[in-house]
Amino acid sequence: MNNTFLLLRPRFVSAINSMRPRNGKRNWPRFFMYGSLGFVFWAGTFIIFYRVLFYFQSIQDFGNILAMKLISMLIIIFFALLLFSNIINCLSHLYLSQDLPLLHSLPVSSENIFSSRWIISTFDSSWMIVAFSFPVFLSYGLIYKTGITFYLTFLVTIVFMCLITSALSSILVLFGAKILPAGRIRTIIIVLGVFMTLLIILVLRLIRPEQLVNPDSFASVVLYLNSMQTPDSPLLPTTWMTDVIKSSLSGEIQSCLFNIALTGTCAFMLIFISNMIARLIYFNGFSKSQTTSKRLFAPVKYKGYNWENLLNFLPRESKAFAVKEIRTFFRDSAQWPQLFLMIALIAIYLYNFSVLPLDNLPIKAVYLQNIFSFLNIGLAAFVLTAIVARFVFPSVSMEGEAFWIVQAAPVSIKKFLWIKFFLYYVPLIILVEFLVVVSNLLLRVSPFMMFLSTITIFWLVPAVVGMAVGLGAVYADFKSENPAQAVTSFGGLVFMVLCFCLIATVVILEAGPVYSIFMADLRGQGISLFQLTWSVISFVFAFSLCLLAIFYPICLGEKKLRIR
Amino acid sequence: MIKLQELTKDYGTVVAVNKLNLNVAAGEIYGFIGPNGAGKTTTIRMMGGILAPTSGGIIIGGLDMAQKPVEAKKLIGFIPDRPFLYEKLTGMEFLQFSADLYNVERDTFLEKAPKLLQQFALRDWGDELVEAYSHGMKQRLIIASALLHDPQILIIDEPMVGLDPSAVRMVKDILKELAAQQTTIFISTHTLSIAEDLCHRIGLIHKGTLLAQGTLDELKHIAKLGEAGLEEVFLTIIKENTFI
Repeated sequence: MNNTFLLLRPRFVSAINSMRPRNGKRNWPRFFMYGSLGFVFWAGTFIIFYRVLFYFQSIQDFGNILAMKLISMLIIIFFALLLFSNIINCLSHLYLSQDLPLLHSLPVSSENIFSSRWIISTFDSSWMIVAFSFPVFLSYGLIYKTGITFYLTFLVTIVFMCLITSALSSILVLFGAKILPAGRIRTIIIVLGVFMTLLIILVLRLIRPEQLVNPDSFASVVLYLNSMQTPDSPLLPTTWMTDVIKSSLSGEIQSCLFNIALTGTCAFMLIFISNMIARLIYFNGFSKSQTTSKRLFAPVKYKGYNWENLLNFLPRESKAFAVKEIRTFFRDSAQWPQLFLMIALIAIYLYNFSVLPLDNLPIKAVYLQNIFSFLNIGLAAFVLTAIVARFVFPSVSMEGEAFWIVQAAPVSIKKFLWIKFFLYYVPLIILVEFLVVVSNLLLRVSPFMMFLSTITIFWLVPAVVGMAVGLGAVYADFKSENPAQAVTSFGGLVFMVLCFCLIATVVILEAGPVYSIFMADLRGQGISLFQLTWSVISFVFAFSLCLLAIFYPICLGEKKLRIR
Repeated sequence: MIKLQELTKDYGTVVAVNKLNLNVAAGEIYGFIGPNGAGKTTTIRMMGGILAPTSGGIIIGGLDMAQKPVEAKKLIGFIPDRPFLYEKLTGMEFLQFSADLYNVERDTFLEKAPKLLQQFALRDWGDELVEAYSHGMKQRLIIASALLHDPQILIIDEPMVGLDPSAVRMVKDILKELAAQQTTIFISTHTLSIAEDLCHRIGLIHKGTLLAQGTLDELKHIAKLGEAGLEEVFLTIIKENTFI
């Protein structure tokens, strides 16, 4: 046991050391920014749940049923999230971390290594769920006017939930790694997880929840509410946990203690079992993970056809980088699930526009359609930012330790960054323009709004991509084990905040003149000189902002990479 | 071919390289030796254009690295001490990537790449992803890619790390052959036997300062040692901090 805690020490010490000022730079701006953002989310979660529960309380008969159903839904969602996050973290911590060969060379047993890694994995997977579930249950406590015991039982329950999911995940991963090399399991689990998520999103979307507000389908809602009172299976830990919270809220101490005992014994039994299994098979699985697995898909080559020839119009070194980037991107299996998610996001985005009941609107349709179209510019730009944050921002960091190749190559850093820019700009401009044009066609907007949307997006796409490449270079981390997660770093946060500001500013700058032009057109009036001047100044300013966003971050990035 | 003028790298907390001056002529193999943390890799990385110097100049084949980095780098084949590569490319694809960057003619590439893979015992691995390569295989692939564009200057940091004895022998032979064809070679190494065996001149750096340089005989003279090997010379100069 001592060795287990000894093995945890590097993690604690590293965490403390990471808080120290580095190279004379203080960490407080970073902590302040993260802290503020965390607090905003925390407070937002609390406010939303408090308001929802407050509203439920005002509905006779159904209010309490809805609040209790919400608890069981939340417990199931938290359980599923924890399970998935624990599986990924267990795989990384137990089989794929770079320091594992060193640990296994030390005079400690593999059980000790397993236990220390399991503790770290449990903490990493759970702290965020625990932190953000608290405001949810705080709002329950306040609405139901409970005492301190409710919060204590909630805390014990959520800790047991973390332990159960972590122990279950480790058992799954231990058996999985015995059969397949760990690197392959991660790919399969990520892909399966994303398919499941896609399925849930699509099912939720395709059942058309907007139909619930339709009085014609009210009978089905009554049936739905009836089904809400159906008890869950008593054999599932999620049912016990839900019962703990429910009985704690209603003051049924006996039932509460019984369910806590069930949950706790289940957690400790699973931990015991996972340790037993680890003693038998963990090291074998680790050994297996050290061998390189074969490629998931064998390369397919067609005689006489080479996709690289499509890029022959590029200068030679640009083509070399483009080919390298495309190959690396598509061969990295960690990127695939993100691609699936992106496709789902776009499909749902367009589907939402297609189901808008434009023909049955009580408000004048032309007005609303064009308002939607204008808002759609901002919405599409935010979708773009999400995609860019995931794929473009980390692209410089993705060079990793191989960045020396770029530095030693006869290509300037400036050129390297511009190659990156154009590589992502071209597909993204096509994608986002497609999104905007198709959604505008579905909205049946006026030609003026169609022109405005496409031209605004035409400026915003390079601006967002330029910021991602430039700031990605400024905050590049070539030593990261997982550069794809760069967007969750301080630099990623700066990029997201700046993008949000840019998009909001451009939309606000355009909103005033566009509204006045649109209204004048609607009333059949001409555009006054004032309106024209206002429009020109606003558009020139928005355009200049976009130009600045394209060039300035790339210059900053170039400077930062040159002086490394 | 290589000229370092008052080259300095100050990391803020430590001066890694301090006013380094040296010249390496065409066809010369120059060995750069020194203890750990002496400033060898920093010097090499500045020469390769990977690191910007704090002050001083680097002239490569008559081109100033600060003024014309792209042109200067075209003359160099750079081999780092740690073989980090693009793991998701195959060996052959990596060679193609290098060839495109250094503007190697298509026909020349098609002729040379298989030969280099054969020479470095990587022929059977050419279509495998780099992630499946061992440390030594990655190192061999980097050396092969550095030779692809017939560089006038080779800058090598610890060339033999991770290589098996036969590969060490092969690399030594290749370097000697290249030097005979007027390629300038700058090698940083810890392995004194390699420096002794391979280099025409040796520079000894310690705490960022060049303590001594010359042929092995000249170094023995500086260290006031008669028939000693490079190891004794190295230890004596480091101990006495003898300056040229």
